[in-house]
Amino acid sequence: MELREFNDVVHPPPDYPSPDVSQHSLRLRTVAAPAPAQQSSGVQFDWASPPPEDAEDSSETRNLRELPLHMSLKRAVRQVQQMRVPVVSSSWNIKHSQTFRRFCEVAKNILSYFVLWKRGIQRIGGHFGGGVQSYFLFLRFLVILNFLSSLLIAAFVLIPSIVFRSLNFNSTSNITIVNTTGLETCMQYDPKPDALMVFFNYFLDLVSGTGFMEYSYLFYGYYNNTMIESDGFSYNIPLAYLLTAAFYFLFCFFCIIIRMGGTARVVVETGAGAAGGYCMLVFTGWDHGLQGDRAVKLKQNNVRYRLQVDLEEERLKKKAASLTLGQTVSLYALRIFLNLIVLTLIVATFFGIAKATQFSQSMKTTGFTGLLLQYLPSMVITASNFVVPLLCDKIALLEKYSPSTTVILALLRAVFLRLVSLGVLLYTLWEQITCKGEIGSDDCKLCGYYYNQYKCWETRVGQEMYKLTLFDFLITVATLILVEFPRRIVVDHCSCKLSQLVGRQEFLVAPNVLALVYSQTVVWTGALFCPLLPFINTLKFVIFYYCKKITLFQNCQPATRNFRSTTSNFFFLLVLLFGWMLASVVLLYSVAKIHPSYGCGPFRLDPTMWDAVPQAVNMLSTTSRAFLFYIGSQKCSIPLFIFSCILLCYVSALTSVHGKSVALLKSQCALEQRDKQFLIRQIEELNATMQKAEHEPKLLNTENEPFQHTAATQWNQHNNYAFDPDEDPRPY
Amino acid sequence: MGNKQTIFTDEQLDAYQDCTFFTRKEILRLHGRYHELAPHLVPMDYTNDPDVKVPLALIVNMPELKENPFRNRIVESFSEDGQGNLSFNDFVDMFSVLSEMAPRELKAIYAFKIYDFNVDNYICKEDLEKTLNKLTKEELTPEEVNLVCEKAIEEADLDGDNKLSFADFENMISRAPDFLSTFHIRI
Repeated sequence: MELREFNDVVHPPPDYPSPDVSQHSLRLRTVAAPAPAQQSSGVQFDWASPPPEDAEDSSETRNLRELPLHMSLKRAVRQVQQMRVPVVSSSWNIKHSQTFRRFCEVAKNILSYFVLWKRGIQRIGGHFGGGVQSYFLFLRFLVILNFLSSLLIAAFVLIPSIVFRSLNFNSTSNITIVNTTGLETCMQYDPKPDALMVFFNYFLDLVSGTGFMEYSYLFYGYYNNTMIESDGFSYNIPLAYLLTAAFYFLFCFFCIIIRMGGTARVVVETGAGAAGGYCMLVFTGWDHGLQGDRAVKLKQNNVRYRLQVDLEEERLKKKAASLTLGQTVSLYALRIFLNLIVLTLIVATFFGIAKATQFSQSMKTTGFTGLLLQYLPSMVITASNFVVPLLCDKIALLEKYSPSTTVILALLRAVFLRLVSLGVLLYTLWEQITCKGEIGSDDCKLCGYYYNQYKCWETRVGQEMYKLTLFDFLITVATLILVEFPRRIVVDHCSCKLSQLVGRQEFLVAPNVLALVYSQTVVWTGALFCPLLPFINTLKFVIFYYCKKITLFQNCQPATRNFRSTTSNFFFLLVLLFGWMLASVVLLYSVAKIHPSYGCGPFRLDPTMWDAVPQAVNMLSTTSRAFLFYIGSQKCSIPLFIFSCILLCYVSALTSVHGKSVALLKSQCALEQRDKQFLIRQIEELNATMQKAEHEPKLLNTENEPFQHTAATQWNQHNNYAFDPDEDPRPY
Repeated sequence: MGNKQTIFTDEQLDAYQDCTFFTRKEILRLHGRYHELAPHLVPMDYTNDPDVKVPLALIVNMPELKENPFRNRIVESFSEDGQGNLSFNDFVDMFSVLSEMAPRELKAIYAFKIYDFNVDNYICKEDLEKTLNKLTKEELTPEEVNLVCEKAIEEADLDGDNKLSFADFENMISRAPDFLSTFHIRI
């Protein structure tokens, strides 16, 4: 509708009045236009036009803002709207809706003050473009997610534990009837530190989560398996612990899905637009919000580079299509060989991580070497995450893929490396704790886990995750101080060839985002065993934001390579989801399969962590119990499952229908254009023949009439399928 | 803040609020920016709607527009006389369309106007060449420019007349996910 109106504005029809005056709403009325080539200044208003049939106040204001007219004309339209005498009964309605609208706008304005880091991220986007801004938006999303999760955990687990412990409530242990004879060795767990401590040991303990840190609210082992009861108020701590962990996971899952949904909608609407590369680049490649001489120059270089890369890709494609059979075969053989090398590298990394984990878990040295040994798995993971992608990039140069494929492949390899290396670490831990899964073996027979080495295995796992988080933080800050700042100083002040070659740091978005995904996955994995980890992660990410912002503005130059921010947002959320799935596998397995430690934690005397839930359910009243059993039974769950499958099919069918209708509308657009061209040609021919006929003597006038008539009929026949009914069918 | 501002009447502020995507505070701030461009020309008191236009040369010196290669075309497209002299109405209009709240269709209309250098309501090959040269600071070779223009027209032109009408342009823009975020100037 707006498009047609704009066409009316830009190409106003010559002297003919619009045929269906009364049905047009009061938006735009083009009466007379002096010349078709003039712009919208030729628009005038029909003040006598009748009011629109359905007057919605808010939609009118919205449409007023969206009119492509000059401001003075818009104000004139607004005056007309306001001069219109409202119907008596709805005048209160109109004023009411107007004040309500104003209130909403003011409220939205105030709420925007509470958006975290709004100005900072806008500034970053202005100077460095959409790609870098998307990294910071992702970081902000993770900060808010972690903050809300830490509030959740604090409210339901931490604060009740602190309160009950300090107030010494009457607490009863959950299990009273368990045969604990013969299990006394399993229940030995004494992590209480010495009263007197050297500062160095204090620091070591802080950094590795042992000593005084181990028996504290930080780790699983400190929480009690008690149920607090006083004056009809009861609080089941083990149940709260378990359910909070479950809700935390579900909450994160829903947040990610909702955010993905928003991004996915844009992707579907625009048809995953990789099509139309050149015109898209020319018309939407320039970021008008850029300021600053340097940023603009870099953006111009960026656009030029992208155009040249696209042209290069075309050339390569043409060349690839023209390769002989022998050359194609040798190229594919080379690619397979190089992929095998990459695979070998990655497998070697996994092997190294497994060995390092086993070694560090079995060593018990103290002091500085002990600290280094404890951090060995973290160091190996970080080193491999740095070195292996670098090698893969060098190998990718030989593979001769097109530039866009190279970028995607590098991303996929990096993601695979990061997530699976964490998985290998966890697998190695599991092997050690459960004696490679064989509960019946000697070491694990008595307690169900390797009690000699792991008196409280959950705390140990929590400590590993804590160390990974801390090490990641230390490495990032150290890289900042020791690598990026000196690099900038060297490049700026030393004009030797090496510094020109290396150049200023580029802020590469993909590796940074993958680092965030990795940190978040570690936090999710460790949250069950180290409840304060989300809070620590919030602080860590907040510090990251400020550090990255400082390094961005001081040390970096904008990326010279392409980065399509919208589709990549979706990709990063997808990778985050994979991390979540990995963490949830760990959660489910630890809750359901491994025997909790006897000596520590809120589940000490239960066969599995999950058992807290059936016990709690048994204490409910009969009706609630019956209700819960009904929900869990097959009578309810199978129909529910079928229903959700049907819903899924419906939604996917809807998506495909939308896609098809978008394609249909596009082809209809194209068809309309071609019809218009055809008709214009016909008109020109008609005009030419008419002019020729006029030059002939007037005696032939009578013969011309029927000729005109048939031409007009022909015109009307075309009218039926080319134009919409309310468009002006007169000659252009 | 005790002083009641007397730059605009309440009626005028309401009108601006309804016709643009700005709030009252932002409109007053915009007036401050407009006044800064030409302090001797722009009156502080706008209650009687003075007919004052700031010339193009002063407007393109704004920090938001100074480095933009399309600054002249942007200002010309929003001016009523087509020469780039903006009244305050046009000034507010320009930044309203370029703000983040303006919808895609509205931005597409003005983007088309901006890229149409010879103002004939079609983006022809010469317009595209000029756009490209402004984009890349004329560092592409003439063959590359030619090639890119041909490919761009080939991709977007639906009716086969070797130039882009508004319908072609809008069709192409609807497939661009980044258009809303790149066609955006913060003020």
